[in-house]
Amino acid sequence: MRAGLGVFIGGLLAGTVLASLTLFTVDQRESAIILQFGEIKEVITEPGLHAKVPFIQNVRYFDKRILTIDEPDTERFVTSEKKNLLVDSFVKWRIVDVRQYYVSLGGDEARARSRLTQVINSVLREEIGKRNVQDVVSGEREKIMQVVREKVAEDAKPFGVQIVDARLKRVELPQEVSESVYRRMEAERRAVASQLRSQGASEADKIRAEADKDREIIVAEAYRDAQRTKGEGDARATAIYAKAYSENAEFYSFYRSLEAYRASFRNRSDVLILDPNSEFFKYLKNPGAGRPASSGR
Amino acid sequence: MSLNDPQWGRRGGGGGGGNQGPPDLDELWRNFNQRLATIFGRRGGGGAGGEPPSVRQLGGGLGLLILIILGVWLFSGFYTVDESQRGVVLTFGKYSQTTGSGWHWRLPYPIQSQEIVKLTEVRTIEVGYRNNVKSKVLREALMLTDDENIVDIQFAVQYSLKDPQDYLFSVRRPDETVLQVAETAFREIVGKSSMDFVLYEGREEIAARAEKLMQDILDRYQTGVLVSKVTMQNAQPPEQVQAAFDDAVKAKQDQERAKNEGQAYYNDVVPKARGTASRLTEEGNGYRQRVVANAEGEGARFRQVLVEYNKAPGVTRERMYLETVQQIMTSTSKVMIDAKAGGNVLFLPLDKIMQMSAAGLAEAMPSVKPSTETPMVPEPAARSRETLRSRDREGRP
Repeated sequence: MRAGLGVFIGGLLAGTVLASLTLFTVDQRESAIILQFGEIKEVITEPGLHAKVPFIQNVRYFDKRILTIDEPDTERFVTSEKKNLLVDSFVKWRIVDVRQYYVSLGGDEARARSRLTQVINSVLREEIGKRNVQDVVSGEREKIMQVVREKVAEDAKPFGVQIVDARLKRVELPQEVSESVYRRMEAERRAVASQLRSQGASEADKIRAEADKDREIIVAEAYRDAQRTKGEGDARATAIYAKAYSENAEFYSFYRSLEAYRASFRNRSDVLILDPNSEFFKYLKNPGAGRPASSGR
Repeated sequence: MSLNDPQWGRRGGGGGGGNQGPPDLDELWRNFNQRLATIFGRRGGGGAGGEPPSVRQLGGGLGLLILIILGVWLFSGFYTVDESQRGVVLTFGKYSQTTGSGWHWRLPYPIQSQEIVKLTEVRTIEVGYRNNVKSKVLREALMLTDDENIVDIQFAVQYSLKDPQDYLFSVRRPDETVLQVAETAFREIVGKSSMDFVLYEGREEIAARAEKLMQDILDRYQTGVLVSKVTMQNAQPPEQVQAAFDDAVKAKQDQERAKNEGQAYYNDVVPKARGTASRLTEEGNGYRQRVVANAEGEGARFRQVLVEYNKAPGVTRERMYLETVQQIMTSTSKVMIDAKAGGNVLFLPLDKIMQMSAAGLAEAMPSVKPSTETPMVPEPAARSRETLRSRDREGRP
């Protein structure tokens, strides 16, 4: 009874230990190789439960996903016009041939990274060296990325590594060049600013001048029209006068003269010095002067 | 528990999802109990039966213990998935199914395991700043444009997942990848645009183009990520040149202001000139009316008088002459000198006479008929020119 139970439990334990030594799982994200004393016995790419011979075989796992090489530091490159550029890139890669990968790099990811980084940098150096800053920044950015991708892929093939993508991230000018760029930008803005200001001043002046001109024209035209109207009035008045007065020119002359005298002497301050011998005073001296009967002496 | 047990093999191979729920569990229990029963039954039957109750008790206790352990083990297969999440179940590391929200049960460790992925939750990455647009990360923010200017840009990317399987299995550190892709895509787009485009008119477009490029790249990597929005938080010239840019903006305002001032001057001067013009015109009209009316009046008056004069010219003429002289004489100061009376020098204090007469001037002022003055032209013209000049002086700032 007791022994039976013991056997049962013992068997259970032994089975568990044996299973843990024999069986292993390969994750969806991984592939694995079974090594027997350092010799590759089997490459496993299918995830799931797998078995090996305990003690003499061991398993190594490799990541099957897309991996990234993204150096934190920007690398300094020289362009065709001998300018420095700081370029930062990243590469997406994947282990596709585990056997090759293990054989050539010992399955060491750090080694793979450093090898790939070297290749990437040398390709980048070559490609950037052929181009000027503007091409690197904008014009041929994609072309550079494509060339890097192809060349690095070529180079990485013996390692069992596939290059999924290589992309430039930051492309920037070194600090000292940046300063001069800032100064240039500043100068450009200042030029724009002063142009805007003087444009404003000139436009304002133009509007003012136009205002003055319009004013002169408006007033002058109005003056002209007013003078014309006045002239018309004067002409009509003259015609009326002429018509009326020409009916008896002699009388008009008399009538108008009297009016003029009246208008001329109307203030106390006008002093008349008179000679009593004038026509007006003829009766003052000689009351009978006017009478024709007594006119003879 | 032994993995070699045929029960397990069946289950492992079965692989089916939903039908591995509670009914299976019951069956499992039943099988297990049967097995225990047969073990104990056989032992009980074959044994001498010396102390059957105690052994049975012992066996019962052990069975209970195993049962409890088994229960706990099975219970560890339960997991919950939130509405915004998806559960991904792996069988011995191999993907077997994706589950939606709710309670789920999977085979416990080490057979199956699950990964919970937040699927619909919006994730955000910030490039060029952290948390607040003001706390900038210049290393990420400064970008070169096509015309070799440097701009300072902060942007954010919002994304969610569209495929949990891709997200989990195809790329190592997918969220970091999103950041890398965001940077490379945005810098590529900015690198192809001019500074003015980036800073002013093209902000929306750049964000839209970056969004599209990002999605393309992420799809190529099969990250299972869906970029929902790229927003440009801020785009401005770098701090070092900020002052010059602000000044340029101010210059634009200055330009507008100068133009408006000019316009204001125009709006001040021209209407006033129109006013002056209409006054001149009206003056002209008034003058014409007046002059014509005067002429008509005077002409009519003369004609009336002439009619009567023609009837008795001699008398009328004499009367008119005398009346006029009388009027003149009464309203002026007079000195009468008989030149023939004496040859001696006469002293006349003219200034005294004038003073005297000035005192009595007021009442002596005769009311005469309306003046016949005919000012020809210059008077109004001179005045208007005068007013214009003074207005001019006011108008100029």
